[in-house]
Amino acid sequence: MSDRGAIRLESLTRSYGRVVALDDVDLEVRAGEMMTLVGPSGSGKSTILRLIAGLDRPDQGRIVVDGQDVVRVPPHRRAVAMVFQDYALYPHLTVLGNLLFGLRVRRVKRAEAERRARAAADRLGIADLLDRYPDQTSGGQRQRIALARALLREPTVYLLDEPLASLDAPLRFATRADLLALHRELGTTTIHVTHDQAEAMTLGDRVAVLDRGRVRQIGPPQQVYDEPADTFVAGFLGSPPMNLVPGGGVLGGAAGLILGVRPEDLALDTDGPVEATVEAAEALGSETILLTRCPDGTRLTVRTGPRPGVRPGEGVRLRPDPGRLHRFDAETGRRR
Amino acid sequence: MTSGRARPPLTAWAFLAPYAVAVGLLIVLPALLNLGYAFTDHTGLTRDPQFVGLANVRRMLSDGFLLDSVQASAIHVALAVPLRLLAAVGLGLLLAAPRPGGRWFRVAVYLPTVVPDVALAVLFLWVLNPLYGPLNQLLGLFGHPGFTWLSDPGTARVGVALMLVFPIGEGFLVVLAARRLLDGRLYEAAALEGCGPFGQLRRLTLPMLAPVLLLLAVRDTILTLQVNFVPAYVLTDGRPANATLYLPVYIFDQAFEFSSFAYGALITSVLMVVTTVVITALLLVVRRWRVLR
Repeated sequence: MSDRGAIRLESLTRSYGRVVALDDVDLEVRAGEMMTLVGPSGSGKSTILRLIAGLDRPDQGRIVVDGQDVVRVPPHRRAVAMVFQDYALYPHLTVLGNLLFGLRVRRVKRAEAERRARAAADRLGIADLLDRYPDQTSGGQRQRIALARALLREPTVYLLDEPLASLDAPLRFATRADLLALHRELGTTTIHVTHDQAEAMTLGDRVAVLDRGRVRQIGPPQQVYDEPADTFVAGFLGSPPMNLVPGGGVLGGAAGLILGVRPEDLALDTDGPVEATVEAAEALGSETILLTRCPDGTRLTVRTGPRPGVRPGEGVRLRPDPGRLHRFDAETGRRR
Repeated sequence: MTSGRARPPLTAWAFLAPYAVAVGLLIVLPALLNLGYAFTDHTGLTRDPQFVGLANVRRMLSDGFLLDSVQASAIHVALAVPLRLLAAVGLGLLLAAPRPGGRWFRVAVYLPTVVPDVALAVLFLWVLNPLYGPLNQLLGLFGHPGFTWLSDPGTARVGVALMLVFPIGEGFLVVLAARRLLDGRLYEAAALEGCGPFGQLRRLTLPMLAPVLLLLAVRDTILTLQVNFVPAYVLTDGRPANATLYLPVYIFDQAFEFSSFAYGALITSVLMVVTTVVITALLLVVRRWRVLR
């Protein structure tokens, strides 16, 4: 496989006034990979996309695409296509007009441009929408129009800024699968930004967790989930988040450490070593989330099967999975 | 609200009533009276106008001055409306983006609109003065001898239009506001596709502003057919050679100077017909060019 589409960010820094959006970020995206950038809002993930697209310039650092530093290359000379969160479809043009826009700007002949636009529309199943205006289409259709428009750029890199955020839940689920299938079929490097952890877990070959302009951890989603590099990642990935107990407390004393355990790694067990009282039980159908409180005030969230047979106010005993305890340094928050 | 499409509640009509009464008393009634006066011999001085049938219409059909006046008005609209729109749209788009000092430029553009038009006209008497006016001095810098602005029919028309290019504040504000409502992401998407500033203006800004521009064009046409009264009166008084004898000026002359109130009333109706024709032509062009989606 060639290096086409490989991206390397080297000590990338960008601030807006006094706000540091990106702080010395290094990131490598392999050719053909789907990389997910995840983080809370303001973590700098969208800034990374805008820098790669060329909509913004870094204060420092290099952006290497296909082995070439593109920091000084204008956006349209970079072989990147971006799908915006709200899709940024031109409201005064029909769907066909939207697809033709870039081709016409690049002076592709009308007939050829139209042939290509129709092919892209066919591929994304929006061929019957070509005469409509964007405001006459649904959210899911708009997303496909935006994808078709990106497809027509024939880029070496796709940048997707929260592509599923504006869709409702069932559609999001279906579209997620479609996006993955499209990516497999095209094999083009894709960087995908999200703040939704379900997307982060399912969509990327690798995920990079960002916080306040810094990369906290990069790795395959399951690995990042299983071995979070610090307390931020531990708390951010996973819903409900990992239980973090400073000093170990009920999970077993550990001076200078923060002990963490995921809700699913706490089992209800009448012989369990941890005593707790159920404060609330959230039945989610396929599972139940128990919010419990230990005698010393520590709150532990437990994920258990449906119909666990306990009610708020009842006492339970919990058994943490000893192989799945996470240890973090109390000072730095780093994994130990 | 459950009434939905049903009849609007009575309160709505109650709130509209004062406006409706004012429109009725101050606009509809005088307009109807005006139409009635057009078929009398009313001078504006006597109390008992007599019905004279189509006498005024016959007079109109052989009135060479009226022809001059319609021509002056038509040329003025063709000259002033595009100039005013160009200035309002150009400055509006230029100053819409936030940039240092932009606020002062925006104030400067709006300021002439606040100046009373008589004052602006007096100012332009000086600007257009062939001997010491700054405009001719400016032309002199480029080696041009300058014009006798208000004494030559052609340049007099340009002079009045030139003055009206300055009070464009409202149009400017509308363009400014409309441009700021456009989604910045569309421009980023266009930039990614290789669309430069002029391409963005042609392919995004102007098409998306089309409804606003059309509104401004219609409004400015109506306005331009009427507000040229003061500048023409102060600058040229309809001269030279009737070049600036715009319809409002001619109407005023007939109704209040030549004691032909009834004839003035008839020409007022003509002005309304002319306005309607121009607006209709404009809308037809818009439909033909598919400016609006």
